[in-house]
Amino acid sequence: MAGPRRTPWVSRRISWLLLATLGVVGSAAVAHLRQPAATLVTPANFPALVYEVAKNQPNEATFELGRQLFYDPRLSSDGTVSCGSCHQQSRAFTDGQALALGVAGRRSARNTPALQNLGWHRSFMADGGVRGLELQALAPLTSPQEMNEPLADALAKLNADPEYRRRFAAIYGPGQIDTPQFLKALAQFTSALTSADSRYDKYVRHEPGGTLTAPEQRGLALFQQKCSGCHATDLFTDESFRNNGLDRTFPVDSGRAHISQQPTDAGRFRVPSLRNVARTAPYMHDGRFQTLPQVLDHYAHGVRPSRTLDPLLRQPDGRRGLPLTAQQQQELLAFLNTLTDNNLLTNPRFAPPLSAARNQPPVASVGR
Amino acid sequence: MNLRPSTLLGLLVLPLALFSGCKKDSDTLTSTGSVNFTVRNVAGSQDLALNNTVATTAAGEKFTVSTFEYYLSNIKFTKSDGTTYAAPDTYFLVDQAKPKSLSFTVPNVPAGDYTSVSFIVGVDAQKTGLTDPATFTGDLNQANNMYWTWNSGHIFLKLEGTITSTTPNKPLTCHIGGYTDPNNAIVMAAPAFNGAKLTVQAKHTPQLALVANITKVFDGPNPVVLSTFTGAHMPNAQSVQIAQNYAAGMFTVEKITAE
Repeated sequence: MAGPRRTPWVSRRISWLLLATLGVVGSAAVAHLRQPAATLVTPANFPALVYEVAKNQPNEATFELGRQLFYDPRLSSDGTVSCGSCHQQSRAFTDGQALALGVAGRRSARNTPALQNLGWHRSFMADGGVRGLELQALAPLTSPQEMNEPLADALAKLNADPEYRRRFAAIYGPGQIDTPQFLKALAQFTSALTSADSRYDKYVRHEPGGTLTAPEQRGLALFQQKCSGCHATDLFTDESFRNNGLDRTFPVDSGRAHISQQPTDAGRFRVPSLRNVARTAPYMHDGRFQTLPQVLDHYAHGVRPSRTLDPLLRQPDGRRGLPLTAQQQQELLAFLNTLTDNNLLTNPRFAPPLSAARNQPPVASVGR
Repeated sequence: MNLRPSTLLGLLVLPLALFSGCKKDSDTLTSTGSVNFTVRNVAGSQDLALNNTVATTAAGEKFTVSTFEYYLSNIKFTKSDGTTYAAPDTYFLVDQAKPKSLSFTVPNVPAGDYTSVSFIVGVDAQKTGLTDPATFTGDLNQANNMYWTWNSGHIFLKLEGTITSTTPNKPLTCHIGGYTDPNNAIVMAAPAFNGAKLTVQAKHTPQLALVANITKVFDGPNPVVLSTFTGAHMPNAQSVQIAQNYAAGMFTVEKITAE
């Protein structure tokens, strides 16, 4: 098969692209001085932001529009499911269900992931199939098991709504609401869901309220020793895809291999962040574990062998998993609870807007 | 200074001659024309009519088609001396259900006699791999439903229909795409001009009439047995094989018209 040739005009285009990018970054820097991007500040203990915020400069009107879209169930095929149906703020934007619930009672194949610190993601979904934050919303929108709405139909609904027309036009100018406007507005909301104010964060940043008890500190030390190989940095994920020994074979969901088609990726899934982990039960890509003690017990005693099992879960003596005594598991649990961030869970900026609350059918309680 | 009248005249004329000479060269360099492409989708010797025409593969299997769409992009023109012109930002979605999409024009082609043309059947990796939806303008817009939302990237070719040579009939779904190795389904086609020339000049729009034979999706270097075909839905090895089929034989040049 022939790949695209690197012809001279392609190189020229690249240099123009670079120039254009520099221009955008330059003007964004100026805009940043004028209007601080209150919604996307990199916390001191975080790595560098991945999301190209210069191409979607945060502003209040667009954030509020994105928030409206996020909580609007009219964007689903039958008007019953919004992004917020499965991504509920009080659960760190998860739903309490093993498998996500879409239109007409359909079940997705996977557990709803938490939405937090998305601007630091290099890829999205448990298999990493989606390559950018602005592209991500298309997946649940169009999935038949989730919102089941073709993009063209969603845009038609927005364009038929005078209030959306007015709000989009105020930001992007007159004309039809189009794909990039829709996706960028949504991304202004989802990229603003920063979780960086847990007690742990305050502890590492030496801020008021940043005290950990002795068991919590022992849990932190254990975590650094046994868990941070995958749940790395203060994002608590290295964003790699790993097989953590849930199964011996992967007939239903091969994870990363579904995207890469490589046998070496069978059973590998994205390492999830552990921020707010006490609020995001049930756990794993298929929601099989109801509680955190069950998760820790899996790592201590339940890891199953397979060809792609992660090397970090193979001990030198041939045993599998992570050796963890009952007391160590208690200390780890104590530490994991310090990752709960009430700012993310209760900040009214992230809650449904009043107008959306009116539109919302009684699915908000679906996770109970 | 003692100058003869003829020398004086020469000094006056020389710059004029140089100037006009430059002007003439510059005109030649910037002279461009447009090329109009037309595409006629066929099933063997019949024009393709959606939900009607019965297509027959080389192995004698039969199918009908409800959807047939594909991207043509990165159009490149080559002269007999080997020099080429790669038309920038050429991305065209051909959709059998939309007659207007069966004709498109490439502007700003430098004047000259071209002896071949090539294009990607699909979208180049650099473009489809972008993550900013603002870069997907026109035919590349994801609202055209030629984009995998769960595995970011455009669907290069979409053929949907019914396999009618099996009992019972079976639905036929063939979505081809993928732009990273080893599942890179980006293929090029360069249908032969058979000695004809495509002459591009200013203020003229020659027409290049292409024919696309849908049966070549399944016939070719990697024949597909429809009776056991379970569909193509994602970037994988099968997707690459089918792309190799349509790259090899789907497109032919039917006619080149001066204008």
